Amino acid sequence: MKNIRNLALLALFAVLCVPSAWSSPAASAEYFVYFGTYTGFTYMKEGLPAGGSNSKGIYVSRFKPATGEVSEPELAAEIVNPAFLAVHPNRRFLYVATEDPFSLGPDFDHASYVSAFSIDPTTGKLHLLNTLPTGGTSTCYLSIDKTGRYVLMANFGSSSVTVLRIKEDGSLGEQSAFMKHVGHGKDPSFQSQAHPHSIDVSPDNRFAIVSDLGVDKLFVYRFDEATGALSPDTPPFVEAEAGGGPRHFVFDSAGKFGYALHEMSGFVAVLAWDPANGAFTKVQDARTLAPDFIGLNDSAEIAIHPNGKFLYESNRRFRGPDLWGPDSIGVFSIDPMKGTLTGVEQVAPQGTMPRQFAIDPSGSYLFAANELTGNVVLFRVDGNTGRLTPTKTELKIDVPVCIVFVPAQR
Amino acid sequence: MRQIRSTLCVVIAFVLAGAARPAMAQDNDFFVYVGTYTGFKWVHHSKPYGFGESHSKGIYVSRFHAATGELSEPQLAAEVINPSFLTISPNHHFLYAVSEDPLSLGPPLDHSSYVSAFAIDPATGKLRLLNTAPASGTSTCYISMDRTGKYVFMANFGSGSVSVIRVRTDGSLGELTSFIQNVGHSVDRAIQTEPHPHWIGPSPDNRFVIVSDLGMDKVLIFRFDAETGVLSPPDPPFASVYPGGGPRHFTFDPAGKFGYQLGEMSGAIDVFAWDASKGTLTTIQLAQTVPHDFFGSNHSAEIEILPNGKFLYESNRRTLSETVRAPDTIGVFAIDPGKGTLTPVEQIVSGGVMPRNFKIDPSGKYLLAANQISNNIVLFAIDGSTGRLSKTGKEITVDTPVCIQFVPADR
Repeated sequence: MKNIRNLALLALFAVLCVPSAWSSPAASAEYFVYFGTYTGFTYMKEGLPAGGSNSKGIYVSRFKPATGEVSEPELAAEIVNPAFLAVHPNRRFLYVATEDPFSLGPDFDHASYVSAFSIDPTTGKLHLLNTLPTGGTSTCYLSIDKTGRYVLMANFGSSSVTVLRIKEDGSLGEQSAFMKHVGHGKDPSFQSQAHPHSIDVSPDNRFAIVSDLGVDKLFVYRFDEATGALSPDTPPFVEAEAGGGPRHFVFDSAGKFGYALHEMSGFVAVLAWDPANGAFTKVQDARTLAPDFIGLNDSAEIAIHPNGKFLYESNRRFRGPDLWGPDSIGVFSIDPMKGTLTGVEQVAPQGTMPRQFAIDPSGSYLFAANELTGNVVLFRVDGNTGRLTPTKTELKIDVPVCIVFVPAQR
Repeated sequence: MRQIRSTLCVVIAFVLAGAARPAMAQDNDFFVYVGTYTGFKWVHHSKPYGFGESHSKGIYVSRFHAATGELSEPQLAAEVINPSFLTISPNHHFLYAVSEDPLSLGPPLDHSSYVSAFAIDPATGKLRLLNTAPASGTSTCYISMDRTGKYVFMANFGSGSVSVIRVRTDGSLGELTSFIQNVGHSVDRAIQTEPHPHWIGPSPDNRFVIVSDLGMDKVLIFRFDAETGVLSPPDPPFASVYPGGGPRHFTFDPAGKFGYQLGEMSGAIDVFAWDASKGTLTTIQLAQTVPHDFFGSNHSAEIEILPNGKFLYESNRRTLSETVRAPDTIGVFAIDPGKGTLTPVEQIVSGGVMPRNFKIDPSGKYLLAANQISNNIVLFAIDGSTGRLSKTGKEITVDTPVCIQFVPADR
């Protein structure tokens, strides 16, 4: 009876919203979409307290890719500054990096913690399991290894990467690795010290790749999934573009190529990945900025479409102290053999500072999180051309900075 | 001749000790653990560097008979890389050692660092490895435990942080419960461009944790929650020391009324009154350890108070030029029982080169001085009424000794 009613509702929505999608194979799928936010900071900037947000933690919406329907976000867990999220491979647990808004020290040296939550499969609400120090400051990124036994974290402030064990019940256990990065880059304002910004395991779980924005390097660590230890590979890193500031990294779906987005230069470095030796070979530097753009650029997120044919990246831009934009989300097609990128388009994110975006698992929609305007905008993705079309659907969320999907009603 | 005499002394002492031994109470027998550097190699600007052709293999153990001063030849207790600082659990069942990875990338003071838990064999003193975890910092130079024995505290000199790890009931190491990144600098351009925590330890009542930061010239005070292992800063959060002093090691007096902070570069001791209810340190004296006529560079190292609370000891590593070392000394100060202030008693030579560490035996009768460069541990007798040290003529050879800890034997 319940199923019949759900089907009826679904059919109704399908008819009302996107009639043509009704026959799509993903019609039955439904997801929880979790939004990480900044709940606000209280810190001293030029002698004055700064920071502000009305967010209270992690929010969740229900999303149906078949129709593009997305529910109003609800508070899933109250927690300070849940700035980055990662989902366990078993979809039952969510891990969150948080920054303490009251900690001593400069802007980028906030005491940071990682919290483990269990996911209620019917309501999407989060239940806190435990919280531990990340082992670094201003932790800006975390990911889970392929076995689901370790959480890997990039600590922007204190220049380290750390790994914590995940217990059987999903809660966090002891630290299994700590690696400090030393050095500096070309840009005196942001590169006076090392700033790890992302850490992800390779498709075979044998290596971990770290983008270090401060020293313009991609570090390659050997990852031992039996112990959770990291050890430097030989060579221990590949040089990125000087002054470029590598921020986020993604492997292609086949595990043949790696794509490193540079925050300051906006370049995407295309690298051929040798999984046997854990080695990268530079293939291409793809430009995301229009050649006639004059101003400052801070590229942010990078992701590949589930069909493996297109790459997306976001750009936050400034032309003066109060002159934002034009911000954009760039679309590139991927050469299936060579891995190289060809520009398709740059579209406006319908907001300011698209620090994050995520493509839903069915590949039908892209959610763009605009940090400054406090809105998450849904774009329709054309799987054949890669092109993005803004929908009328938009969610109001204060300071949204991370989006992850979890299948609902398993 | 001198060698013959000292050998003779050792032999006589050994014979006497051997004869006296059956009559001695077992609680005067100790294991003496010696932490060492086993050697370094690192890569900087793509070139390999190394120093200290150490032949040490790890942590060594000797038996020490406090009644007679008998000290046995050291034996390898556990093979481990660069066990540069050690601490003992309050129940004497476990030993914790920090070690610095000699092959890690980066400059000399940014070595990957680990902490290992060992079970102590009460009969032989040998150590059995329980587990090893990252210290959550680099070039970890100090480890201690809280009063309950449930947490280890670590000072990470290289990365400028302090970390707390839970100890499980079986003595093995569990999760990280606290991580504090220090931020700041001070006046010395060579070593104080960034924070360098060098010492961490609990207050006598276990409610606070003191951190000496050599890079910031600060003695930081944190509230400590023994239920959760969490450090949180109180108000005011620190006491400052003389600029450029470089606070290295700290000690409370046995009564818990005063705190003594040794400055590595200044060689001065900042004497503080400790307010145990508020967790504050108030400066009462700056005591000099360097003679007025000394022209050279000084690196003071260790500080400890005699169990009777009357005398304070501190060690000084000194250089007159790049090639001329010395005079390395151990300084003795009398402590005013009411005011806590220090009055110099004597500075005596340490019997070797670079006395980076020393330790007073729990009975308070002997001081063992570890000379890092000359590879010897020299035994001094302590006069408990004057504080003065006298050489016993006994010493043992240990390669690159840098830490000494005592554990009661034959429990």
